[in-house]
Amino acid sequence: MNATPSRLIICLLAMVPAVALASGGRDVPIAGGRFESVLPASATTKTTRVAPYRLDTALVSNEDFARFTRANPQWRRGAVKPLLADSQYLRHWVSPTEPGKAIARQPVTHVSWFAANAYCESRGARLPSWHEWELAAAASEEQPDARADGAWRQRILHWYSSSARGALPDAGASPPNYYGVRDLHGVAWEWVLDAGSMMVSDDSREQGDPDVTRFCGSGALSLEQKENYAMMMRIAMLSSMKASYTSGSMGFRCATDVRASR
Amino acid sequence: MNNKMVLGLVAAFALLTSACSEREAAAAAKVETGGSLKGDFGPPQGEPVNAVLTSPPEVPPPTNRKHPAKVIVELEVIEVDREIAEGVTYTFWTFGGTVPGSFIRVRQGDTVEFHLKNHPDSKMPHNIDLHGVTGPGGGAASSFTAPGHRTQFTFKALNQGLYVYHCATAPVGMHVANGMYGLILVEPPEGLPAVDKEFYVMQGDFYTVGKYREKGHQAFDMQKAIDENATYVLFNGSESAMTGPRALKARTGERIRMFIGNGGPNLVSSFHVIGEIFDKVQYEGGTHFQENVQTTLIPSGGAVTVEFHTEVPGNYVLVDHSIFRAFNKGALAILEVAGEERADIYSGKQGDEVYLSDKLSDLAPVAAAAQAKASGTLTREQQVKAGEVLFKGTCSACHQDTGAGIENVFPPLAKSDYLLADRRRAIAIVLNGLSGPVTVNGKNYNSVMPPMSQFTDDEIANILTYSLNSWGNAGGTVTKEEVAKVRATTERAEGAAH
Amino acid sequence: MKGLIACVMLLATGWSVAAETPAVSLYDLEEHLVLQDGRSAMLDVHRGNKVLITMFYGGCQATCPMIIETLRSVESKLDATGRQQLRVLLISFDPEHDTPLALRDLAVARRIDTTRWTLASADSAAVRRIAAALEIQFRRLPEGQISHANVITVLGSGGEILARSTRLGSADDNLVQALRGR
Repeated sequence: MNATPSRLIICLLAMVPAVALASGGRDVPIAGGRFESVLPASATTKTTRVAPYRLDTALVSNEDFARFTRANPQWRRGAVKPLLADSQYLRHWVSPTEPGKAIARQPVTHVSWFAANAYCESRGARLPSWHEWELAAAASEEQPDARADGAWRQRILHWYSSSARGALPDAGASPPNYYGVRDLHGVAWEWVLDAGSMMVSDDSREQGDPDVTRFCGSGALSLEQKENYAMMMRIAMLSSMKASYTSGSMGFRCATDVRASR
Repeated sequence: MNNKMVLGLVAAFALLTSACSEREAAAAAKVETGGSLKGDFGPPQGEPVNAVLTSPPEVPPPTNRKHPAKVIVELEVIEVDREIAEGVTYTFWTFGGTVPGSFIRVRQGDTVEFHLKNHPDSKMPHNIDLHGVTGPGGGAASSFTAPGHRTQFTFKALNQGLYVYHCATAPVGMHVANGMYGLILVEPPEGLPAVDKEFYVMQGDFYTVGKYREKGHQAFDMQKAIDENATYVLFNGSESAMTGPRALKARTGERIRMFIGNGGPNLVSSFHVIGEIFDKVQYEGGTHFQENVQTTLIPSGGAVTVEFHTEVPGNYVLVDHSIFRAFNKGALAILEVAGEERADIYSGKQGDEVYLSDKLSDLAPVAAAAQAKASGTLTREQQVKAGEVLFKGTCSACHQDTGAGIENVFPPLAKSDYLLADRRRAIAIVLNGLSGPVTVNGKNYNSVMPPMSQFTDDEIANILTYSLNSWGNAGGTVTKEEVAKVRATTERAEGAAH
Repeated sequence: MKGLIACVMLLATGWSVAAETPAVSLYDLEEHLVLQDGRSAMLDVHRGNKVLITMFYGGCQATCPMIIETLRSVESKLDATGRQQLRVLLISFDPEHDTPLALRDLAVARRIDTTRWTLASADSAAVRRIAAALEIQFRRLPEGQISHANVITVLGSGGEILARSTRLGSADDNLVQALRGR
């Protein structure tokens, strides 16, 4: 009987982080809806429907990923299977389980799609789909969809013009956009769930693919919104990367279905 | 027949045959090379060759091969921050570390094993489309390379010519605008004729957020690129790529060949070398040539081979003759030719003297009179001299040098009763003009004299003084003060100068 | 029908790649499959044999019938021993519709020899991972069908990825050589 009040207190204390998270700490709800994507839903249906989802507000950091490698030895550098990550996997870390203080808070990079996928699954989450990512990234700080604003498009284009050699900012450091999501622009490339299935031709000038059997019933997708250079570059980057590839500019964040309970 | 006839016949025959062979030669020059259908010389022979790639403005040596070979090309894509103009930096995406990218030289019929490497520090994936490739995308679909990876594909160079290569990753315009282009030369099977120097130059247009020469690191401006509103138009990726200490160098008496490409992405080039004429232009980088060309068009995504022989030393300026690009956007490069002067071909400046226009050959008296008036020493002679110059410059157009006017049109001033009768009226007429019927020396005139109020008071005084003292008129002087008084008290005619 | 003819004509070409060295094993992925007879198995169910592996779905009208014919064509190029030792594994993109029962019906309809051929499904997350490892692009279209690439891969006895081909219709020599060799 004496134990019950303390158990209650412990339960309440344990709930605090959960409550904090639920109120928009680690991730936020996004309603989705109809969306005009750079990557159309199909050759005949341009508009995409995005179901409601939750998206991490920040990129996964090196220290987040370090906790994952400590709990999951099969995902450590040196132990990871070659099918699942290339030779550059986590090469920037001090040790297989320790990134080093200097970069601990920076977004994790040099991770393959398989590794990012496994991390999200370990949290009961998943990678966001391309359309989920693109919808969140269409927002500026004030507007849910700022893509018609040429000045905004030019601003986010800036990152693509600059070299990859500069130091990364801390994960979550950039100002939140309309949805409360950070780091979508100006920080890193991001893995998405369907990164291996962008269905675009390797020669991006092939538009209106006449080969409708290339993908069993449909041709390669033609990119829409050709003035949206930033998104075209994201799609090009994702379609150049196999699932085992890593890159010093490629990180990720996680998403969950709205139906999933905590 | 006699000897003379035989000689004549032989001479005629010789003439005819030489004319024939000239025509044959001319015809041979226009013979088709047969394109890709005739460009496959069979499988590669001998050991594989590692292609020598050069950075601009250098060109690899001729292949000097008589048979098709397997050529291995290794080209690395690397993104670099570098000056585009003094104090202005830009992130260029490059083939081989330079803009334009490395020059590739092969022979028609060669089998090229192409390795594309994308530096691990690259932010972007890249690929390559070589215009000399026969095959989908020019190689683009087969060379899509993520950062930190390498890809390979093989093609046979079936067509001879000078070809552009460039990155074709989406968005293509941006990859090209950031400097991802270069040239590949596919030599004709017999090789190119020997020359003394070969150079590699490539024009490109660049689009930055900041204005031309605005200092600091500049980002690519997509809207300007779509609007084709270039900030810089440059040879070899920077304003100083081939100027000052980096100018191209040659000597007089040399045969120069230039491989000139135009990477675009947007603008066509009107390529010209100031002070030289292209003896030979292989227009559009193809097989046949034109001679004696001043300025040649290079399409965006195209190339040209030009040749010329140097005779006179000096600095020869390569420009895009859409001339504001040369002087306001940087499309300028220098070829320094050293050697002995050739005054028989170009003398340089031979003289420089003062030149005054015919009409206003001597305005000195007018100035002298004005000065004298100001200092109070004006004489009638000075007024007359000044007035003569002014009269001859304006009034004589109608009233004639002789003051006789034109019968029934313009009244005379010589011995004119109308002029001499009323001094104040005369001044007023010069100031305000005169229209309507007048009778001068018994003849009627009805014309329009425009107001001459653009003259100063000095000048009107001098003109009238001259008139009073010429053509047999009695004489007298009109002073500046008298004119001033009349000017002040008469209404200005509409449209008259103040 | 038009689509099918177009498929056949266009995909008589296609490309193939002899695998780069060193060969990586697909069995690094430990995925759960449900076979057409309802049994559970792992992705390496055919470890010890050479395998032709590909992905498809039952509702596919256009090229999936062609895939089966192509697999048969590759098989026919092997000698009796080769055929005996070969295993063929077809994994569905569509676990929702391609239940064990549906897969069994498909096997019957296509006269598939289930002693050596296996039709299997996996959950959607596993499908995503297997497709990524085999570099097979797929995307569910709003109109209902699944757009997907056609890739047949040869696995060595330890799951090593030895060769891949997108050719449909006739047997790609690279696949045959990979099955015969080593």
